[in-house]
Amino acid sequence: MLANFKISLFFICNLCLLVLANSSEQFDEELSIKSLQDGKVASKFSFKTLLKGASPKDPRTLGTDDESQHYTLFPLGLGQILREYGVTELHLTLNAGNWNYGRWGYPEEKGVGPGAELWVWMGDGAPNSIDHRWKGLRNALAGLFCASLGSLDEQCTTSPVRSFSPEGVLPDWDLPHQIRHASLPSEHVCTENLTPFLKLLPCKSLSGIASLLNPHRLFDADWHGMGIHVLWRGKEGIEVRLTFQSIMDPSRSSSKQKQDWSLQSLFDRAIDRTCPIAHSSLISVSLPSSGAHSITPEPSRVDSGSAIFDVATVPKPFNAAMNWPSDFEYQYDTSLTPLKIQRTLKGSSQARGQLSLVIANHGQVSQQVVYLETMPWLVQFYLHTLKTSVNGAESDAVISNITYIPAIPHSRPTTFEAVLLLPARSTTRLTMDVTKAFLRYTEHPPDAQRGWDLPPAVFTPIHGGQSQNATAGLPSERIYTPALLVDLATPDFSMPYNVIIFSCSLMAFLFGSIFNLLTRRFVVVHVGSGKQE
Amino acid sequence: MTLMSSSKTPSPPASTLNFSVVLSALVAARVALTLTGLPDVLRDDHQLASPLTSFSQLQEGIYLFNHGVDPYSGGTFRHSPLFLTLFATILPNSPRICSLLWTLCDGLGAWALVQIWRARQNVTSSERDGLIAAVYLFNPYIFLPTLALSTSSLENTLMLILLMFAARGKASPALLGLAFLVHFSLSSIVLLSPILLLLNTDQFSHLASPRPLATSIRKVVPLLGEFVVYFCLLALSSTLVSGGFAWIPQTWGATLMLPDLTPNPGLWWYFFTEIFDHFRPFFLMVFTVHLLIYIVPVCIKFQHDALYATFILLGIVGAFKAYPTLSDPGLFLSMISLFPEIYPYLRHPIVTSLLHLHAFLLLPLFHHLWLNQGTGNANFFYASTLVFACANGAAIIDCLWAGLRIAIGKPVEGYSIVQE
Amino acid sequence: MSSMDSHSPPQDAQNAPKQPSTALRDPSKLFYQSDGVHRSIIASYWAVILLAVPLWWYTTSIERLSLPQSRVYSQAENHLRLPVRICLVAGDQQLAGQLQDSIQQHVAKASERWNGLKIDVLQQGQCNSNDGSYSVIPSDKGITLEARQLSYPLADGSSVSKLVDTLSALIVPYSAASEQEHRVAQYSPRYRLSFSLLNEDAAAGKAIIGWDVEQAINRYIHPILSRLSTLHNFTIESQVQFHAPLAFTPQELDVAYALTSEDLTVFVNSAEWTLSSSASNDPVLHFVLFIPSSDRRPLKIANADGSLSASGAFLLPQWGGIVIHNPTPQDVPSDTDLPPTDLDQVFSVFSNQLLALLGVPHLPVGVQRGVSEREALITDWQLDALLRRRALENAEGAQDTLRSIVKLVDQIENMPVGEDVKGDVQDALAALDKMYASSRTSLEQAFRYSAQALTLASRAFFNPGMLALLYFPTEHRVAVYTPLFASALVPLFVAVLKEFFAWRRQRKLLLANS
Repeated sequence: MLANFKISLFFICNLCLLVLANSSEQFDEELSIKSLQDGKVASKFSFKTLLKGASPKDPRTLGTDDESQHYTLFPLGLGQILREYGVTELHLTLNAGNWNYGRWGYPEEKGVGPGAELWVWMGDGAPNSIDHRWKGLRNALAGLFCASLGSLDEQCTTSPVRSFSPEGVLPDWDLPHQIRHASLPSEHVCTENLTPFLKLLPCKSLSGIASLLNPHRLFDADWHGMGIHVLWRGKEGIEVRLTFQSIMDPSRSSSKQKQDWSLQSLFDRAIDRTCPIAHSSLISVSLPSSGAHSITPEPSRVDSGSAIFDVATVPKPFNAAMNWPSDFEYQYDTSLTPLKIQRTLKGSSQARGQLSLVIANHGQVSQQVVYLETMPWLVQFYLHTLKTSVNGAESDAVISNITYIPAIPHSRPTTFEAVLLLPARSTTRLTMDVTKAFLRYTEHPPDAQRGWDLPPAVFTPIHGGQSQNATAGLPSERIYTPALLVDLATPDFSMPYNVIIFSCSLMAFLFGSIFNLLTRRFVVVHVGSGKQE
Repeated sequence: MTLMSSSKTPSPPASTLNFSVVLSALVAARVALTLTGLPDVLRDDHQLASPLTSFSQLQEGIYLFNHGVDPYSGGTFRHSPLFLTLFATILPNSPRICSLLWTLCDGLGAWALVQIWRARQNVTSSERDGLIAAVYLFNPYIFLPTLALSTSSLENTLMLILLMFAARGKASPALLGLAFLVHFSLSSIVLLSPILLLLNTDQFSHLASPRPLATSIRKVVPLLGEFVVYFCLLALSSTLVSGGFAWIPQTWGATLMLPDLTPNPGLWWYFFTEIFDHFRPFFLMVFTVHLLIYIVPVCIKFQHDALYATFILLGIVGAFKAYPTLSDPGLFLSMISLFPEIYPYLRHPIVTSLLHLHAFLLLPLFHHLWLNQGTGNANFFYASTLVFACANGAAIIDCLWAGLRIAIGKPVEGYSIVQE
Repeated sequence: MSSMDSHSPPQDAQNAPKQPSTALRDPSKLFYQSDGVHRSIIASYWAVILLAVPLWWYTTSIERLSLPQSRVYSQAENHLRLPVRICLVAGDQQLAGQLQDSIQQHVAKASERWNGLKIDVLQQGQCNSNDGSYSVIPSDKGITLEARQLSYPLADGSSVSKLVDTLSALIVPYSAASEQEHRVAQYSPRYRLSFSLLNEDAAAGKAIIGWDVEQAINRYIHPILSRLSTLHNFTIESQVQFHAPLAFTPQELDVAYALTSEDLTVFVNSAEWTLSSSASNDPVLHFVLFIPSSDRRPLKIANADGSLSASGAFLLPQWGGIVIHNPTPQDVPSDTDLPPTDLDQVFSVFSNQLLALLGVPHLPVGVQRGVSEREALITDWQLDALLRRRALENAEGAQDTLRSIVKLVDQIENMPVGEDVKGDVQDALAALDKMYASSRTSLEQAFRYSAQALTLASRAFFNPGMLALLYFPTEHRVAVYTPLFASALVPLFVAVLKEFFAWRRQRKLLLANS
């Protein structure tokens, strides 16, 4: 009897433990779909796993054996990497295309820079240096995501503190935290990156909202990008957020000029099954503020302008659709963001050029932004030629608080961070001369004539500056400019031996001639033909 | 080349004009040149300004220095800390005023060249004075880099001034000048031994009547010591001014390691663009040692005329140094005017002149085709630098031959002088 | 100038002053034409070149430190002999002799199996229980193990040969021919144990969505790990996956779905299951609990004869173990955690699989554990056998690796050998020396040094710095050096030779004149 009691007690304890174990991780998935003013459809998948009560690994313990890691929902592969390198916060985005802020507004996920972008916050104080860990992390993530993140090397690594402040909480370890940021605009995102991304999801792409992630459709979108965000939410725990954003064009697949869409038409799939372990699984569709439209099926609820479907309860297969009775009419000239930024590299010479930035502030209020350039050493700034003008009139007050870390050839990129003050309803111009580097022939990529992609500039608006009274319409996001392409002078790649032979022979010839002049003796010879004695 | 042809023409009618008037007129003409649009076009031209002498780089360094960024922490500022502080504090750095300053420096250089000539001839003035000044001021290899505000022009002026002091036997100013020059451009260390020799002998021409060195080599030691002291003082003050040793790898290190492969008219840049990485250190060593190998032989051969030895080595440095600009060979060519006695013995002056003309036309053309127009490739410009190297080499060989040949006497019909 | 017809210079020189029309000076009278000047110029050229030779060597040399070759080769000749002392307690002289002979015969028959061991049978008086010797005590209560003690019923002479069989099964439980040998994972100082709960398709319902893995590991795995802590360190991780499809469709039978033996070989679907990660290089042993999708239950393993096997577990050699668990329908109303009874079952299978993968031998049939050994998972006999096996393997592996490094470096002349490689090789040799020294006294020490030697030797072998310069063969060097040196050095050599011959001629003349 007693034994029986013991056993049942043991079971009860076990059950308690089980309950605890299960509730320590939580998975939420969400899809939001929004029709844009240019007729396109923006969709954002967000898969959030919260590891409750967990905290980032203290870098001081990195040298010692790690405790066992047991995960139910949290991706083990990612968890191992985070602990191995003591990462506090990590953001990796892989995007294809340029985000059009004017037409599409600010993206729901900030990280829309072209190509690959990786930035992490790490605590110092580990036996290995931060740069060493950063390198290991890059290689590990490259392996995990099948992306060439390994080439995010020292030549693109910067530490822009002001533009990339942590989104979560940094632990209070009495250790300095440092940021490492690198971007690779030439990275192309494709299916081979999506597959490992999907494997990190608890339900992969087999059930729940994730089953809509159909690579054939996603990589056909006008713009698409995936992101992995890890941050510490203080006491709540560590959050891993996997996101996939895309901009699709429904009119492209329909014969008529209509912006109607359905899950089936966008993703070529419908949701057949619920992800069983999702804590919540929602699809929210923003409803247009005006105009006749219909949405099917009936949403579970409507909340502040969005129709929300709870995937767990809706009948399967689930295919939401939105229809407009009338054809779509394109509206011109309504920028959704107050700032319009244009960045170009001028000049046809392969030796030098001019970086030019034109920022138009359409807003009613002046705006302060942090402007960040992380330029590889291939393009070197002449900061003394920096000129700023507002509405055509030269003005030095535009730019302030410059942080400048000059590039080191073959190793470090330039970091240029400054605060720009953009007056209301004005156009600010900024120009700076640059020189282009000449590389060794082994440093050129195989397609050297294509040029080099330069990372985007990043603009981060500052709040609470001079424009405290104005709150509406202010961007609260990071703005990426499109990447630039720089044309560098190339040597002849077939020439190494020719050059060695030409140059060496010439030098040897001159050397030999001078040597002969210095060492041979002069003699007088008689050359007269008939005048010999 | 202007000089060679003019030297053969009968000397101009005795000029009653005072030399200073002539010099002023020449300088005024040069100042007029700076007022044209040329300086803006030529600035940063790769043939006129190397990364070590470019005015834009200097301005960038000054800007960083004034804004609290250590210019030597980055990778592109390669000017001496002395230039940096001079221009950040005393000297102006607006391009327009600098143009004037550079031109005046050229005028000073021309004046120093004339002083050397007078010292060598042991006269207080001569008819050739104006011609010599003109050959310097209107040598395109000299005035184009000046218009481009390349600091190599300032180095040339410094070179001529120190030679002037050396020719007048004023050891301390000459050695101080040389210390500055070596500090600015490490390759000039090659000139140390002929200048020490010059300070121990006289400046007169003994080319036609060579005689072995009479003075003892021991006299050189205190002079060498003085130079070392000056040089160390300059290095020390540079370190103090820039607040660290970071300037050494950035300035002198660049001459030895060639980190910047920006094209220039020299032989190094394309070679080290194309060389296999494994052999890079070895060939850097070979190219550097190659520059040094000439010092002793030339000094031994021309021990009777140290000024001529300096002149020959100047030509060799100009042709083979790491980051040359046109003004380096330009100084050598202009200095030919100091030695009119060798003109009859030049071996093939026409070929040399034509080679120089050829190179002078090809260099900017191919540079433009490659980098701006995009219709040529790097080989075009490389080929023209080879022609330029040939021209420089031919000029050195000519002068070497003539400097030795002159001792045997005027050519006689039926007999020819050859080397066995 | 070569085409000119030249007279002999002295003649000309003598002629020249006689000619009235000539202002030519005699070139040979010029001081700079003198032999001294010439020779000093040539000497100064050569001086600079000779001074540059060390720089040449410095800038082109590949760092190629010499490896202790002879030590490596002599070390490779050595073979580890681990002593095994068997102490016959309370036996007479005769019995001990009999045992010794019998063992000798046994060793002779299967010499390969006994390779590396040195068996001594000791008398009671010579025994020392602290030096790791095994004692055999005659008893009548059956074959029982206690620590390093074997109680054996030694009734008569015929039982000696049976005792030898038992002893050999205990001391050298491994035989190369055995199939089980291939399952044992290669030695590594550190393993990662990865426990995965895989649902074939959780969305189909009735899935197992959690397990109390930490507790199960504490109960079943940790005792093994702490017992084996002298051999390996372990890192443990676990995960749950909800969609882990199979790469094939199991056969559908009346009562169940069956996996044939071919299916088992492709059971692990590495394309879809993310089992391993790239965070570290340690080898991973996987333990997979596979829950078939609810519409494919029960999933069973079919035997060769077509009948269904009762156990759902199988082992993939050197990779890990898999348990297929079919939740009974009444158990699982909907998604749930794994019930504790099932968890215990599964983990006891995992623990056996772990023992097999790590090479812990089974006890021979008929041998019972003594009172004190009941609780221990692994007896001292088993652990010793494993230690001996690993030590022998490691020693051989380390010696082979060292020999390969030396051979490779010998063969490829351009292979750089850095300080780290040399250091590793030296340290590995030192570890091997220490291993031999300690092999007589302490098995554990000997094993430790063997593991150290193997780790160091493989680290040296896989050093990435050794691959740096394999692309520059001698022909390539010649092609790069020739353009400059062939043409620049030839005049220098010719000048030296000319001066040398001129000097010899002069000396002969002088001698002739005097």
